Amino acid sequence: MIKLSDIVVRFGDFEALHNINVHVKEGEFFTFLGPSGCGKTTTLRTITGFIEPVSGTVSMQGNDITNVPIEKRNIGIVFQSYALFPTMTVHDNIAFGLKIKKQKKDEIEKKVKAIAEKVDLSDEQLKKAVSQLSGGQQQRVAIARALVTEPAIICMDEPLSNLDAKLRVQLRNELKKMQKDFGITTIYVTHDQEEALTLSDRIAVFNKGYIEQIGTPNEVYNYSATEFVANFIGDINPLGKDITEAMGLSQAENHFIRLERVHVNTDTASGEVYVTDGVIESREYYGLYIKYYISAGGQTVKVIEKNDGINIYEAGEKVKVGIHRADVMSYAKKEA
Amino acid sequence: MQNTVRRKGQINLSMIYKVFGGVLFIYLFLGFMVIPCINTLTSVFTAKDRAGNTDPFAVIRFFLAGSMPSFVWNSLKLAICLVVTVNVVGISIVLLTEYFDIKGAKILRIGYMTTLIYSGVALVTGYQFLYDGNGIMTKWLVEMFPGMNKQWFSGFNAVLFTMTFACTSNHALFLRNAIRGIDYNTVEAARNMGAKPFKVLFKVVMPTLLPTLFSLTVMTFITGLCAMSAPTLLGYNSINPEIVRLAGSTTADEAFPQARAALLSVILALFTIVLLLFLNHYERKGHYLSVSKTKAKLVKQKIQNPTANVLAHIYAYVLFIIYMTPVVMIILFAFQNWSAVRTKTLDLGGWTLSNFFGVENYSYTRSNGKVTTRVGAISGVFSNDKTVGGIRLSFILSALAAALACVIVVIAVNYIFKFRGKHKSKKRAVLVEGCLLFPWLLPTILICYSFRIFFNNEVWYVFGQNLYYKENVRLLIIIAYTVVKLPFALRMVKAAFYAIDDELEDAARNLGASSLVTFLKVKLPIVLPSVLAVFALNFNALFTEYDMGATFQSSEGTTYAMVIQSMCNEEGRDGMNMNASGRRCASTVFIMIVSGLILYLVYGVGSRDLGERLALREKRRKRLQKIKGKLGIGHASAEAAEQQETV
Repeated sequence: MIKLSDIVVRFGDFEALHNINVHVKEGEFFTFLGPSGCGKTTTLRTITGFIEPVSGTVSMQGNDITNVPIEKRNIGIVFQSYALFPTMTVHDNIAFGLKIKKQKKDEIEKKVKAIAEKVDLSDEQLKKAVSQLSGGQQQRVAIARALVTEPAIICMDEPLSNLDAKLRVQLRNELKKMQKDFGITTIYVTHDQEEALTLSDRIAVFNKGYIEQIGTPNEVYNYSATEFVANFIGDINPLGKDITEAMGLSQAENHFIRLERVHVNTDTASGEVYVTDGVIESREYYGLYIKYYISAGGQTVKVIEKNDGINIYEAGEKVKVGIHRADVMSYAKKEA
Repeated sequence: MQNTVRRKGQINLSMIYKVFGGVLFIYLFLGFMVIPCINTLTSVFTAKDRAGNTDPFAVIRFFLAGSMPSFVWNSLKLAICLVVTVNVVGISIVLLTEYFDIKGAKILRIGYMTTLIYSGVALVTGYQFLYDGNGIMTKWLVEMFPGMNKQWFSGFNAVLFTMTFACTSNHALFLRNAIRGIDYNTVEAARNMGAKPFKVLFKVVMPTLLPTLFSLTVMTFITGLCAMSAPTLLGYNSINPEIVRLAGSTTADEAFPQARAALLSVILALFTIVLLLFLNHYERKGHYLSVSKTKAKLVKQKIQNPTANVLAHIYAYVLFIIYMTPVVMIILFAFQNWSAVRTKTLDLGGWTLSNFFGVENYSYTRSNGKVTTRVGAISGVFSNDKTVGGIRLSFILSALAAALACVIVVIAVNYIFKFRGKHKSKKRAVLVEGCLLFPWLLPTILICYSFRIFFNNEVWYVFGQNLYYKENVRLLIIIAYTVVKLPFALRMVKAAFYAIDDELEDAARNLGASSLVTFLKVKLPIVLPSVLAVFALNFNALFTEYDMGATFQSSEGTTYAMVIQSMCNEEGRDGMNMNASGRRCASTVFIMIVSGLILYLVYGVGSRDLGERLALREKRRKRLQKIKGKLGIGHASAEAAEQQETV
């Protein structure tokens, strides 16, 4: 569907993207994930045509679109701020692209009504100014505006970042549902790993202008290709020398373990499971689960335990901490 | 926005636009800003002596040897005194209405803000009317203080008094905003640590106001230095009136008048440039930025000491009386008949609308016993040809200049923002901005004087025309008005463009809109309220503008301000213009209404966004339906509206 081949982007002397290669498949929900300044938005803007790469090609459905003007690429965009035109009504915002394309008036009306219905915007809301809508409704207008021109793909640049936590979760679900309903190829940019994991079919993890890994949410979380990915996606325990030596792990590598893979009060020590004594330092109560900070193996180990209401440990309580060798993620140490 | 993919096939057209725009801009900048001012500067050093030889230092020698330094000193004296008086009154009115808990603060605020609609030549002539030797206010003051000099309102005293109260508008707007921006938590924190109210005021509140106060002080100083209408009308020999006088003089009357006028305007420009650069340098330091994450609204402070509280109230209301009396009196006299106005006494039986509308004859008995009738000697603002002519001319010239300034600035700012962040084009954008801000560095009088002298010849680049000749002067006034208003328009419109999210432009382009369509359909509607506000404020300022009107005054270029000024001198001469002063009062009322309306449109109606406008429209529709329902028209829809309201 969309293919980026050896894309290099420079701003003056600064190279923002180094040989980026991505292939987004038809109907896929593909996410660019990474910290601020890693190049994910630059990659998106290269696809949409706002940025011209120094080298490499962007192709869509087999056609090279690297030098095709923005408006001719047939790509819909939902911007971070939604970029809704404040001086137009909701209706006029959605109809803008159709009017520019000089479509017939009744055709425009038909299409606007149809898309509004699909994204759950009422006739009353269509007459309103965008400032009269809530954040969630504005997001729907932005999606409707991007979709009404029937683009081949839709690009979304952190569309949930301006919303509060509760609304973000709610709209995340709506977004996923809408994408499935429309069946449209979607490229989504976010720095929020939870958002990426819950929404995506596949994720590309960016770091300093490189792609560290492309994979399904399960792959990037459980089988992180690099130390950066392992650290960036979810919380993780770096394992210190005492534990790694006791487990007989290579000292030429850095070793990590996810919080939920550390077991409390397990007593089945074997060749594959390492068990050590620990003392609860403190705990954080999250309702669904409890996070413990345990002093064990010469370091503080973070552990997440399901809150079953029975096995709740107090600070100072002695526990056994178990780590399964197969759960340890190991990466070669980088040369200084 | 870097490395943006270009549209093929549009390069040539955009190049043509760029070249044409660039050439036009350079023509306007050089032709109407740089060359006339350079001509003024060089004229100082190219004065010719009696033998016809060029003597580069003749004017400077004349300046040092003659009385010319006294004009400079007088202007400086006025500026320095104004800084003190305006700041004392300005800070007082803001503290009394915004910081201290004074009873009736809302009414006091209205009184203190009257200078926003009552200013310029209208205010000066109004003060003159009320405070001069036989003015009603002076009469009252003399009754209260019998030993008082009846002629106190003349020269420096009159100018200082008038300008002190006329120049607090900026305090009323900007210092008020600054004090409202104070985080009340900082006041509470200081009180919590044991600071007394006045300690809090001087140690916590005032330091945060210092940057605003500093800017206001510099602006007041420049206003004092460049004062024109008050010194001219109230008789004070400062720089600006002297420049205008010299500009109209000839070598037959005195030694190189034009070169002397040029020297005075250059001196004024030097003062202004130094002060503005100093101000700019200070503003860039950006002191006292608020670090509050969540600001608490300022709560008014009650003055605990009963004596201080009473004194503060007395002070507040005395200032209120000083501000309001001229306004009230001028309004009252605008509706008084000509004899009451001439004797400056309120006649409770002498109310009339003749100062506004209609024409009346005036009959009087001459010394030989013969009764003479002057046809049309009493005429209203809207019936007097000269006044209507002045209003019409000022209206057209101001509207055209205000519109022209907006068009130039909107195009320029769109250009500046288009290349924001692009290193190569950034320099060009900075250059364009610098050119448009250029008139800000120069006193208005220098620009106008330069225009008057330079274009009073056939100039090749304006098609060989003399722009100061006959009706051409109107074009010259439009150009001068436009040039002078460009910096203000630029600052305001630029601020509006900052509010446009870059993503809006990207969104429009993504949806297929060209640069022109994006500008017309997306960007322009967003900045339009600000552009209209700039248009309205510039129009308001130019409509009764005095300085430029006085410089360009001629038979074909008599603006409204000059008509108002002339009304001071021509009242009742030989039985003509019997109600000239009454008409002047009516003119002031008319100006107040126009200014008030413009401020309402700008800050009231104009500040509403589309959402607010649609909500208001909906509210009106429902109200109308309800009324129709009550009247039995469109019964069904009224019922529906009521039902909807109940829900």
